Amino acid sequence: MDTTTPHDTPQKSGNAGCFTMLGIFVLLVIGAIVLWPKKIPVHLPATKLMDEPLFVLFPNLPPDLGAVYLTNTFVATVIAYVLILIGAFVVGRRVRQALANEEYVLGGFSGAMVMLLEGIYNMTEATAGKWARTIFPYFATIMMLVLVVNWMELLPGVETIGLLTPVTEEVHYGYEIEPLAGGVYALASDPIKIHHGEEKAGGHGEANAHGTDEGQHALYDFRPLVRVSSTDLNFTLALALVSVVMTQVIGFRALGLGYLTKFFNFKALFTKPGMGLLDFVVGLLELISEFSKILSFSFRLFGNIFAGSVLLFVMGALAPFILPGFYGLELFVGLIQAFVFGMLTMVFMAQATHSHSDH
Amino acid sequence: MEVAAAKLIGAGLAMIGAIGAGLGIGVLAGGAVQGIARNPDAAGQIQTNMILGIAFAEAVAIYCLVVALLLIFAV
Repeated sequence: MDTTTPHDTPQKSGNAGCFTMLGIFVLLVIGAIVLWPKKIPVHLPATKLMDEPLFVLFPNLPPDLGAVYLTNTFVATVIAYVLILIGAFVVGRRVRQALANEEYVLGGFSGAMVMLLEGIYNMTEATAGKWARTIFPYFATIMMLVLVVNWMELLPGVETIGLLTPVTEEVHYGYEIEPLAGGVYALASDPIKIHHGEEKAGGHGEANAHGTDEGQHALYDFRPLVRVSSTDLNFTLALALVSVVMTQVIGFRALGLGYLTKFFNFKALFTKPGMGLLDFVVGLLELISEFSKILSFSFRLFGNIFAGSVLLFVMGALAPFILPGFYGLELFVGLIQAFVFGMLTMVFMAQATHSHSDH
Repeated sequence: MEVAAAKLIGAGLAMIGAIGAGLGIGVLAGGAVQGIARNPDAAGQIQTNMILGIAFAEAVAIYCLVVALLLIFAV
């Protein structure tokens, strides 16, 4: 049994934590009573915040391919970059200060970051050996970026604060709105399906193509300002491409042109008859599996986080009182997916540096 | 049958594939727990490899989920 008392008894911070949780729960109950959440239709692609593109790269291609739009997931990515940079400066300054004062154990946020990165580095060193210094930045960067981006979906205001525009031709759902204060409006109804080109007599707020009906209110389209980046397939696909392409680069750096004998294994074909053909075919299959790694990386992260955000929406609309349980699930899933993305990148890079004869 | 109804039924059927992921993750966790029981000192390494294996097995369930979502939202 440990009978020694620590220098600063953590009683004060422990109580503050409990009261914060209680306060959050009370706010949740009051907020649910005052403003019961409305259902939000879930968009698979990210929504554009402005209809005109930021700049056009290739004028000859159709607008979806050639132009760059400002989407709400891009806003979230930029916010994540700013947060990570601020965190890096704060932790770096603290670590340098600690090294100057010869204190080797840090507490607080900086200590947690140092512990995390040291754990990751030890894992990299155990798997990769002497290539750990090259591989570690990819592991750590991908993990920190995906972690911050995944945990941003838990902040209030993400995906709920946005722009309201009158309904146009391409929109399928509209909301009625009520004014709260100044220029701020709240959604006043569940999403109402809009039938274009159909006139129904006496419907439940069904609107014609102009978005209004006699006696009904005008319908508005809701575009969130900030949306979790991992729910955008572009973001996850970009990360997956970076990961797989850099794996090949590190493989070429480690083995030279001998890296190609992993996929086109002619040596086994000529030296070992019979089984050599099998080794050759396995090598070709490994080439195909490199491409499937791109798909697998992007869809794993996308599927987990998109399903999690849909779950939070649906639970928020149905039963806001038990939302803290699902928040905990989302916290855990976001952490695990970030860790898995980074660790799989590291493992594949480490495997790329081992030559074929090591198997 | 209307297309909209067929889409929704298809999305529901697509998620049957998650049974495989549940079984696979259960077998994996069982093996990891047995490994830890035999050798408690290696718990950290066993846990790391278990998380890696679980991510691979769960990815297959996520593929089913993506097919279901594509049916509902994009077709």
